[in-house]
Amino acid sequence: MDKPFDLLSTIEYGGCSAKLPAELLSEVLKELPVVLDPKLMVDAGTHDDAGVYRLDGKRALIFTTDFFPPVCSDPFEFGEIAAANALSDIYAMGGSPLIALNLMMFSAEKIPLEVFGEILRGGNEKVTEAGALIVGGHTLDDHPPKYGLAVLGMVHPDQLITNAGAKPGDHLILTKRIGSGALVSGQKNGLAGPDEYRGAIEQMKQLNRAGAEMAAKYGISGMTDITGFGLAGHALKMAVASGVSLRIQAASVPLLPGAFRIFEKGSIPGATFRNREYTGDQVHFTRGVVYSMKMLMHDAQTSGGLFMSVNPDHVEDLVNDLKTSEPELSVAVIGEVLSKSPRRIYVE
Amino acid sequence: MSIFDPCKPINTTTPMKTVDTTGLRCPQPLIKLKEALQSLEEGNRLTVITDNDTSLKNMVAYLKENGVDPEVTSEGKLHTILTGRPSGDLEGVDPAAYCDNDTRANDYAVCIKSEWMGEGDPALGKLLMETFLENLKLQEQLPTHIVLYNSGVNLATRQSPVCSSLTELEELGTRIMLCGTCVDHYGVQYDIAVGMISNMVSLTEILASAGHVVYP
Repeated sequence: MDKPFDLLSTIEYGGCSAKLPAELLSEVLKELPVVLDPKLMVDAGTHDDAGVYRLDGKRALIFTTDFFPPVCSDPFEFGEIAAANALSDIYAMGGSPLIALNLMMFSAEKIPLEVFGEILRGGNEKVTEAGALIVGGHTLDDHPPKYGLAVLGMVHPDQLITNAGAKPGDHLILTKRIGSGALVSGQKNGLAGPDEYRGAIEQMKQLNRAGAEMAAKYGISGMTDITGFGLAGHALKMAVASGVSLRIQAASVPLLPGAFRIFEKGSIPGATFRNREYTGDQVHFTRGVVYSMKMLMHDAQTSGGLFMSVNPDHVEDLVNDLKTSEPELSVAVIGEVLSKSPRRIYVE
Repeated sequence: MSIFDPCKPINTTTPMKTVDTTGLRCPQPLIKLKEALQSLEEGNRLTVITDNDTSLKNMVAYLKENGVDPEVTSEGKLHTILTGRPSGDLEGVDPAAYCDNDTRANDYAVCIKSEWMGEGDPALGKLLMETFLENLKLQEQLPTHIVLYNSGVNLATRQSPVCSSLTELEELGTRIMLCGTCVDHYGVQYDIAVGMISNMVSLTEILASAGHVVYP
């Protein structure tokens, strides 16, 4: 029997993550005309997870897309992870996904065709688990491969949750461990243990559905998912959009096993440095927060957890409820929302 | 042919170690750099050679963030970094250990209730507060927190004479916490230059859990 095809072998050795640096993106986007329409509830202006369009008093559409090159060796798992990651933007707005399109770039000359099928099968399985339907897609010839989804979801306009709603006094909850970028980099550089790498893969496959359900139930004030800009980058976007500052206890941030050691060894992806450059002085670190932890706060996450701003009266119930409905999630209270202060983020 | 010459003076310049990372892509050069720094003795210098622009940028960012200002020389595609050992980056730290929240008996918070130290002549009170904060930052053990409330929040504005002392303390690791209601009351929210604007829930928690509280 042939050795299974290793998808990680298709991407550049130690390749830095695929996202365009945040400051370059902002520069390009600000040149584009601003779309103004009363039906548009969320546009690109607040760097939120998805666009939201009100249909009527009871229904709003959430529209989003995400795709990227392989983050793991197994094609089926890559499909699952890419789909879970794309669906997450719908959940991060408090909605539920309805239909999705496959977006695929794949070169049949360079990779066996079965791999193509496996990726789609993995994606389809995740979308089915989410209770949504894949209704088509589009494929381009390109190498290395890239896969993801465009997803359409729905939310009641009153239950829409953006990253602009965090209120001073709220507590901050994170629903997955940080360090998937570190583990992928560690795997490529021979620094990740098999169990550690497996831990990262399993977490990336997890849907953020339970978080969205809790959002409606407990009236979460602000929410986003942690992806390419890392915890610090997405926290910064939330702080700016909400007009507040955030205080985060580094020791409370749950880490994937192995992530800290991999960063201590110096296996830090280029995306992490770009994210650190982007947050700059807006993030203040108390002396005592070590370098590897600072960088883990900027580690680009694939299919990362939800980051919620919650009224302190509801925190305990919400955390218990989340842990009961998704025992695999690593739910943690990691900080609080401050009034707008000289810096946007304080990590201590 | 090499000739051993016992009369030749021993190299008296700073001992030097070289790591050649040419041909390696990110993050390999940083891995090699960190490896080499682990065994570099205090006061010695390390040379790293790379032909990768991104790796150069990342290695320099790593060194700078850890308190070293490396010298970089470039010849075409080839870059050479000359560096000492960073003081900021600790080796083999346990992630849970670097920031433990145990309240040790001698941990303390400073609670500042007004712009003035003590009662009496306000001009004297202001001067005393300035001197107090200047001396505070020289203490061997710094407070974990400084809590500012009522007119005390005015000390954290950019016009305040103690703004720089508070900023220095913040850089040294003391958390400066302001009462948000008080900031609003005095209408100084746009003038605050240092500290986190927090709320009574957090301030109460800090004061209640501190080893002891100092009221100047």
